Amino acid sequence: MSGRMTGRADEMSIASVPAGTAEGGTRPPRRKVRRDKVGLYGLLSVAALIALFPLLWMLSGSLQSLTELLSNESFLPADPQWHNYVTAWVQGELGIYLRNSVLYTGSAVIGILLVSSLAGYALARLDFAGKGVFTFVILAVMIIPAPAMFLAQYKLLISLSLTNNPVGYVLILITSGIPMSTLIMRSFFASQPRALEEAAALDGAGPLRIFWNVILPLARPGLAAVAVIQGLGAWNEYLMALVLFDDNSLMPVQRGLTAFTSAETPQQQILLAATTISIVPVVIFYLLAQRHIVKGIGAGAIK
Amino acid sequence: MTTQQLAVPVRRPSRAPRGRRVLRRNLIGWLFLVPAIALIGIFTITPFAQAILLSFQSWDGVSSDTPWVGLANYDFVASDPIFWASMRNVLFFGVVGFVFGNGIALVMALAVNSIARGKTFFRTVFYLPGVLSVVVVGLLFSFILAPGSGILNRLLGLVGLSALQQNWLGEPTVALPVVAAVFVWFHWGFGFLLFLAGLQDVPKELYEAAELDGANRWSKFRYVTWPQLAPVTSIVSLLTLLAALQIFGTVQVLTNGGPGQHTMVPTLAIYNEAFVNWRYGSAAAMSVIFGGALVLLSVLQLAITRRRSRV
Repeated sequence: MSGRMTGRADEMSIASVPAGTAEGGTRPPRRKVRRDKVGLYGLLSVAALIALFPLLWMLSGSLQSLTELLSNESFLPADPQWHNYVTAWVQGELGIYLRNSVLYTGSAVIGILLVSSLAGYALARLDFAGKGVFTFVILAVMIIPAPAMFLAQYKLLISLSLTNNPVGYVLILITSGIPMSTLIMRSFFASQPRALEEAAALDGAGPLRIFWNVILPLARPGLAAVAVIQGLGAWNEYLMALVLFDDNSLMPVQRGLTAFTSAETPQQQILLAATTISIVPVVIFYLLAQRHIVKGIGAGAIK
Repeated sequence: MTTQQLAVPVRRPSRAPRGRRVLRRNLIGWLFLVPAIALIGIFTITPFAQAILLSFQSWDGVSSDTPWVGLANYDFVASDPIFWASMRNVLFFGVVGFVFGNGIALVMALAVNSIARGKTFFRTVFYLPGVLSVVVVGLLFSFILAPGSGILNRLLGLVGLSALQQNWLGEPTVALPVVAAVFVWFHWGFGFLLFLAGLQDVPKELYEAAELDGANRWSKFRYVTWPQLAPVTSIVSLLTLLAALQIFGTVQVLTNGGPGQHTMVPTLAIYNEAFVNWRYGSAAAMSVIFGGALVLLSVLQLAITRRRSRV
């Protein structure tokens, strides 16, 4: 435990520094502390290696030639085959798929932010009859799982002529993101001070004006948490993309990858390069927006 | 309430404007909800109801004619070995995800929370698999676990464990646990993040007080950490379980339910029944049975959590 307490103290510089250091210095012998620490970092490193290995192998494999990849020679590419990436990009039509994914994800996130911040604001701040009913419906809808609905959603979109159609897909993405995002936004708005809204109301601004000009600009942290978490979800969505798109030129990248695999039967190293390209945007996004992701996932799950 | 205490003559003239004001207030409130209600009504509630109706109809996915067939679809599903095999398999995934996924997530969160250096690094790495798509995970592991040239078998040979080499995704008895392991690899980072956030919210004073009482490492975990984490544990458990039970893309890309039906899962069975066999009615019956079970599970879990937090 001593390692743990000092760890806390170092990282967060909180008031428990004396307790931590005192314990580390006296009770358990130093050697034991050291051994604990080695064991701990050993465990963490093994877990990190297991988490990273498939990705490192993918990177390495994507730069090898097929014979090298299938032979037992080495783990690292002897002579990096950068042109694998060119082949993957062209053969796999990744430009089209990535563009579609960016478009769908972007539209879905904007839609979710708009709809859920409106609803979240109403639940947190406005006073009206039936608020409880709506909250209950939101919670109930969250419980309905995708496997129970995707068939009927497909049937519905057929009858609306929205299959093989970006609009239909984006509307589904938006709808599936609304319940959780609304709850996140509600708790975000509830934690904000009311002063500015009240001042704006005294100036004679109506609720929509207040929402658009005063509330939304201040809601950036909440919006960011919702945006990253829903952005990841939309980017990685697969089931509805599989069901709704036959037309390759409209597929998002997850669906495109499986289309590439089954139609072209590309060689393994090319497919690895294509897979690598497909995760570059999401990994960069993850590394940049990590803080928001952690917050967003926390907020989404706990609410 | 206050209006009732006012004298009658004052109340009367103000009645009409006040009623209008309440109406206006309600109207504005619902106006903010219109987009959410429209989308949820059209794309969630309608299909949910339609799925139930469709389970009593016959539909080939093309024709506009969907005749009523009564309970025929449920009859068909009741004796469909593939569907019930998929239910058994997914139960296995649920148990493995629940026990191992949550166990690893908790242990790693405790470990990361207790180190001084490298917290951010380990946190970043541990959640990295979680931002990949099911397709990417499925593709990667289908190569890694391939029988001949797969890197796992080659590594085993390299370290002298060639006795363990096998057709990881082709052997009926091996494939199911292997796919479950892939799920755990993919998903444990999610529980880890939530546990870690939960651990950082435990008030430090509690540990200090426990130390003053002479608590050792285990009793600090047992009497401080564990009870403090209870709300997080219960939500992580439910979400992990639901994710494991709804597993689809990973399995489709990795094994497509094979060998035989040994890794078939309900969502994939529903998908195949509809989009491969063109029997949407029985697929809808499956989704009602399976979806209903999931809903029941969520409601049960929420009820238990509610009751526990009230006590």
